[in-house]
Amino acid sequence: MKWPTWGQWYQRVLGLIALSCMIWALSAVSACVSVPVPATDLVSKGREIFFNETFNGNGRTCGTCHPAQNNLVLDPAFIATLPPTDPLFVAEFNPDLKKNFENPKLMRQFGLILENLDGFDDLENKFVMRGVPHVLAQRTSVNSNQGPRTGWSGDGAPGDGSLRSFATGAVIQHFTKTLNRVSGVDFRLPTEEELDAIEAFMLSLGRQQDLTLPLPLKGIVAKRGQDIFLDNQLGKCNLCHVNAGATANFGAGNIGNANFNTGVEDLPDQPADLTGEKNPPDDGFGRPGDGTFNTPPLVEAADSGPFFHNNAIETIEGAVAFYDGKAFNNSPAGRALAAADPNQVGIELDGTQIVAIAAFLRVLNALENIRQSLELLESGAKTSFGERAEDRERIKRAVSETQDSIKVLENGGLHPDAVTHLLKAKESAEKAHSSLFRRRALVQQAVDELRNARTQLIEVS
Amino acid sequence: MLHRHLTLAIIILSLGWGLDAFGQQATEMFIPLGQSPGLSKGGSVIGTLESMDPEKHSVTVVSLSGAQTVGITDRTMIWLDLSQQKQPNRNGAINDLQQGRRVEVKVRKGDPKAVAEWIKVQVSP
Repeated sequence: MKWPTWGQWYQRVLGLIALSCMIWALSAVSACVSVPVPATDLVSKGREIFFNETFNGNGRTCGTCHPAQNNLVLDPAFIATLPPTDPLFVAEFNPDLKKNFENPKLMRQFGLILENLDGFDDLENKFVMRGVPHVLAQRTSVNSNQGPRTGWSGDGAPGDGSLRSFATGAVIQHFTKTLNRVSGVDFRLPTEEELDAIEAFMLSLGRQQDLTLPLPLKGIVAKRGQDIFLDNQLGKCNLCHVNAGATANFGAGNIGNANFNTGVEDLPDQPADLTGEKNPPDDGFGRPGDGTFNTPPLVEAADSGPFFHNNAIETIEGAVAFYDGKAFNNSPAGRALAAADPNQVGIELDGTQIVAIAAFLRVLNALENIRQSLELLESGAKTSFGERAEDRERIKRAVSETQDSIKVLENGGLHPDAVTHLLKAKESAEKAHSSLFRRRALVQQAVDELRNARTQLIEVS
Repeated sequence: MLHRHLTLAIIILSLGWGLDAFGQQATEMFIPLGQSPGLSKGGSVIGTLESMDPEKHSVTVVSLSGAQTVGITDRTMIWLDLSQQKQPNRNGAINDLQQGRRVEVKVRKGDPKAVAEWIKVQVSP
């Protein structure tokens, strides 16, 4: 066997360099192709539409108000990061939408969106300002014995009122180029196929089933919070949020999602009112409204505030404390609870109990974040080289979910041991996101750390 | 375990149980006749307005499945569909329910009196 000459060595080295360059180039190209992933099925088609389709309107997409990178909700902190040209702010730069389309001040300060739920005949005076709810766990949250309930008051969708029809109403309300709202001129309505795809995508988001409480939690405060949550004589939370979801059960079986008048509208010193901006009362379900709003799921609550239909309360502790206050206990729902209580008490909690329930909700939220992160990372392990862009997108979402779990626990002063593991998981996942050759090993490290974190929060069998 | 009348009290006092359907009327007004999602393909009546009876507060619509008479109340919304003219749809009135016009009627679900929740009237160019 002859040793290669210097010239042959040179050629081989050049060849190796060329091959490496090709691999890096392929990697770079696939990295540039982030969302959307190719529309290979109804869910990915729905995802593509949800985040990219403007329906020939003012530039907004569903993702404008439900951004993937912010738990599918809007809050003032996220809004502050957007450029002034973002279509969310269309009322600030489109002269046709300058008046009576949004209130930029309330949007930027409190994440509030203008809705004309009682009709479009008096735009100056007939509107309400509402927060943007997350759209996670829709599969467990929308159905009721009377039919689907969408949006904050259960009547968010035109047509048959279903989740599938919701996008049609959203396009008319939020995507229009002018206040004339003429179909085919100011926007186009979603097609039947698009509605199918959007619905499939929305149903795929987050939890696909409700939890079964109680969970074997390890933290003593969160565990006590769970006990109070489930106690129908004390916290009474589980009556309207069965298993911390969005369905109700008063003892005669689960009735699905339900509407209640809980008195949120009667809260004093609501942030939006303090600005002096016009902020008409919100009459909730129906036209005219009956004052009721439907229950959102609580598992995802802690990292998706502000809370209630009007973003009236910023923190999860404040949201729990609301039920101990006058506004709730004087409301139809509060009075009904009191009427059924042996001591004629609606909900009466002390500070430590309020914090305990909030701690429980924080831990539930962190567990859900961890579940989603694991699901995203583990599904990436099965992908081929050609699906790298999709895999990177999943890793990115897992990093975001893990970050949420860290924030949710840290802000409640909970489980610093779990937070340490979550920080390591996040670091490994971030490295995996940018790594070409060690991606799988780094993903595995992140998965291991997420599992370690979970074992700090809950007994794992 | 909660008492039975607690169940009833909570439901009656707190639940939005008075309305049988949750379809939002505000944005429905801007959807052209025949394009209402989940309704126009079988959930509503689309046809030609054959007659209007002011005394009985009812209209008769002839569709592919035959003639159907539905009631009208003060709560029935009447909308003029001007989308063919590229004009904004607007609120209408009883007078707009004219014979020969193409209409779409949503009847309240489960209502034995077949009362119209809303009627869209197409206004031809």
